[in-house]
Amino acid sequence: MKILDAMSIHGANLSRRSLLGAGGALVVSLAVAPSLTRAAARAGSVLDATKAASWIEIHDDETILIRTGKCDFGQSSIYTAYRQIVAEELSVPVERITTVVTGDTDTTPDGGGTFGLLRGAQNLRKAAAYTREAVLELAARKYAVPRESLTVKDGVVSGGGHSATYGKLVAGQDLRLTIPVSGELTSFMGLQVTGAPPLKATKDYTVVGQPVKNPSLRPKMSGETVWVGDVKLPGMLHARVVHPATLGSTLVSAGKVDGKLFPTARAVVVGNLVGVVAEGEWEAIQAAQSVAATTKWSEWKGLPGSDKLYDHLREKVNWSELPAAKSQASSGDVTLAPGATAHEASYFFPFMKHAPISPTVSLADVRPDGSVVVHTHTQNPQQLRGSIAMMLGRPAADVVIRTYPGASHFGRSNGGNAGSEDEAVLLSRAVGRPVRLQWMRAEDMQWSTSSSASTSRIRIGLDAKGRIQSYQATHDSPPMQDDRLVGAVLAGLPNIGAPGPGNPNGVQGASMGVVDSWVYDKIANVAEEGRATYQIGQRESPLTLGIRDHSMRTPVQFQQNFPREVAISEAAALAGADPIQFRLDHLKDERFRSVLTRLRDESGWQTRPSPSPAARATGAEVVRGQGVSIMFRDQGYWACAAHIAVTPATGEVRVERVTLVMDLGIVVNPLQLKRQAQAGCLFGVSQALHEELSFDQGAITSSDWYSYPILTMAEMPEIKVVIAARPDVGDYGQGSESANALAAPAIAAAFFDATGKPARRIPLRPEYVKAMLA
Amino acid sequence: MISLTVNGAKRSVRSSPDTPLLYVLRNELGVMTPKFGCGLAQCGACSVLLGDEEIRACITPIAAVEGKEVTTVDGLPARWARQKKLSAAVAKGKLHPVQEAWIEEQVPQCGICQFGMMIKVTELLEANPKPTDAEIKTALTTSGPSPHLCRCGSYAAILDGAHRAAQLMRGEA
Repeated sequence: MKILDAMSIHGANLSRRSLLGAGGALVVSLAVAPSLTRAAARAGSVLDATKAASWIEIHDDETILIRTGKCDFGQSSIYTAYRQIVAEELSVPVERITTVVTGDTDTTPDGGGTFGLLRGAQNLRKAAAYTREAVLELAARKYAVPRESLTVKDGVVSGGGHSATYGKLVAGQDLRLTIPVSGELTSFMGLQVTGAPPLKATKDYTVVGQPVKNPSLRPKMSGETVWVGDVKLPGMLHARVVHPATLGSTLVSAGKVDGKLFPTARAVVVGNLVGVVAEGEWEAIQAAQSVAATTKWSEWKGLPGSDKLYDHLREKVNWSELPAAKSQASSGDVTLAPGATAHEASYFFPFMKHAPISPTVSLADVRPDGSVVVHTHTQNPQQLRGSIAMMLGRPAADVVIRTYPGASHFGRSNGGNAGSEDEAVLLSRAVGRPVRLQWMRAEDMQWSTSSSASTSRIRIGLDAKGRIQSYQATHDSPPMQDDRLVGAVLAGLPNIGAPGPGNPNGVQGASMGVVDSWVYDKIANVAEEGRATYQIGQRESPLTLGIRDHSMRTPVQFQQNFPREVAISEAAALAGADPIQFRLDHLKDERFRSVLTRLRDESGWQTRPSPSPAARATGAEVVRGQGVSIMFRDQGYWACAAHIAVTPATGEVRVERVTLVMDLGIVVNPLQLKRQAQAGCLFGVSQALHEELSFDQGAITSSDWYSYPILTMAEMPEIKVVIAARPDVGDYGQGSESANALAAPAIAAAFFDATGKPARRIPLRPEYVKAMLA
Repeated sequence: MISLTVNGAKRSVRSSPDTPLLYVLRNELGVMTPKFGCGLAQCGACSVLLGDEEIRACITPIAAVEGKEVTTVDGLPARWARQKKLSAAVAKGKLHPVQEAWIEEQVPQCGICQFGMMIKVTELLEANPKPTDAEIKTALTTSGPSPHLCRCGSYAAILDGAHRAAQLMRGEA
């Protein structure tokens, strides 16, 4: 179509294609075709998913549509925060954004993983800024007034005696704004909008900061929403998989389907992947159980067993095999001065599960021409698309990922797959029909990824006045970004590499840096290092599987913040200081100081050293304690106090009260932040009290909610969330997931306060507690 | 053929008598709000009301509910309209107060467990119009075959939602 007019908008390009009789819109799209070098695009494909989808559409009826490759994971970020951020940059009421398109690889522009709310929103924020500037330029030309004389408020552009709505300014025209991007579509980070369009001054914000409700909740709660497990495809078969007996077992012989009992069922074997498909779901479940009972696997033992994990990590793993990484905060000399007092201890964190309430489920439709549509719930649809294309040896253009709401993943699919997608694809390809694969609870516990175990050695030197003279920490952990498709591993097909030094994708490498931001800026001598190894069991397993790890909530930072904060509280006790005051004595940052002071006031904190004067490690009577933890994450300052009760005789720990104080600068949505913080905190309480993956020498033995218990409602503490907003700082922080990480170190410190005995590992299950108190 | 009443409508189903109610609802009858969580009656994601009592659809064979009345979240609005004798015009487009409270209080995070939570809270509030915090926690933890589990940790919001739902059901603003 002929371009009638073109203009440059801060490096973006605005063109007018034609004048229309009716309708009209401004459509914002990519300046260039996205790069798909990991799986080269093919022109003329039936499913040309490389075709750029628009970011923003301004319609002449004043409605606005936005698209993002990110997905809403139940924290409402797309439907509230993203909409607010875009509405703010456009200066329109948030209700004008009536349509939000997310996730599907054939209808969204940018890809990238759903993590880091504000980083993820930057693409749309910039796209919105370009769009606002383009509309202002249109208005300036239309009214022949200087651009500088125009302002925009509540969706109305005005100045120089003129005013018009966005809708009026685009009416009757076909406007295309193309904006510059860089990056690779199917990579971990996806595409980034480049350039520097002028962003609205935060002092002028009216939409960001409002307690906007999540509009996706009404259709969800009414039952209208189609969740991923609800999708039905014409002609689809129900499938279940029979996974190997251990993480290193290969297939000896697959069991047969009894055709009399299960008339429509059939077994499918692809390498070491055994699946069963049937017309009905109950038939598929029963047939898979019967096939599993007669399938033979080789024996394998290559894991230390969860009861020996700590010793294995401390004594058996060679942590010098891979390069160590020093923290940026490391400086000075941590040698202990002669005669100095020191706190020195080891800390331990077991493997944990993301454990969504619904196990992974997805549908795949492999068509005769080789093109594939996958219906799933993932935090990174474009990377999943790249992985599936790689497995099949097809161009990415042949693969479309469609996304739906599902159970929260807490990070486990931010590298693409949640577990079932690739297996559904292989089964669909084998049977020539669409397949719906639902993992059962045991599969999801045993064949999904886990959050990495970790051990830390910490030494804190105190001077004669009880001030920290040196801080030294070594954090040891297997890397936590195993994005391999487990079905491709079992089937022996091309795959993303296991985490290791040779992995070409940086995020899937083997390094384990120090991620927990250093906050004690008054301590002069600091030495922190992170050391990595391979996935536990990976090199011993003929399948190369082992315990596959994946980022969870506040990955790496959680594993490193727990030992640091517990150790600081123990050092405070050694110095005879109150744990909050001790922290204040070691940090200058004014925002952290005010958060800690506020925590002391809001939490009913008793200013005194730990342990409590009433501390006791024996007896049937309850003893109580208080503990504190702090964390800096994504420009957010967080502090947490836990008040707990311990019954020494039984080992029972009860968390009675948790207080959270947060300064995130500008808060995008205080209502959603409060709900996220409450929920994240309870997830953390659950980890602190209950969670530990169990495994024997070959297989994961956690298989259900009794062998992997999580927090119940009766155990819920009272939670106080204090949002100490600081709009004056002019920027917004994020990291409501910090609430999740803060609970465990505060609870462990409170345990020490209550009993006088340190808790240097979680979970605080009765059997471990009794050992700690002995 | 086994007959039962689902959300007020008589239905006859072809599934074999041992098929768990969950798969019959979802695959044969197209009633999708009960979700698959564990298949072991350990989490409550699949909860439905059998008469006035919450049960786990994932382990209940269809033969065990023959001739009985099953209500899912899809059927809560009609259940409320029937209980309150609302005219069709008044009831049109209205959700059950428990659903309304869940939206008003912004209870869900991901929301997949909330169908079972709302069923359990409906069971509670029909029997106890003004429950205490402790009674709500007991209902959702120890009163059924297992605790109702929420992995996101929305329990504080559920407590707010249950109290708000109780107010709405009592007719308070």
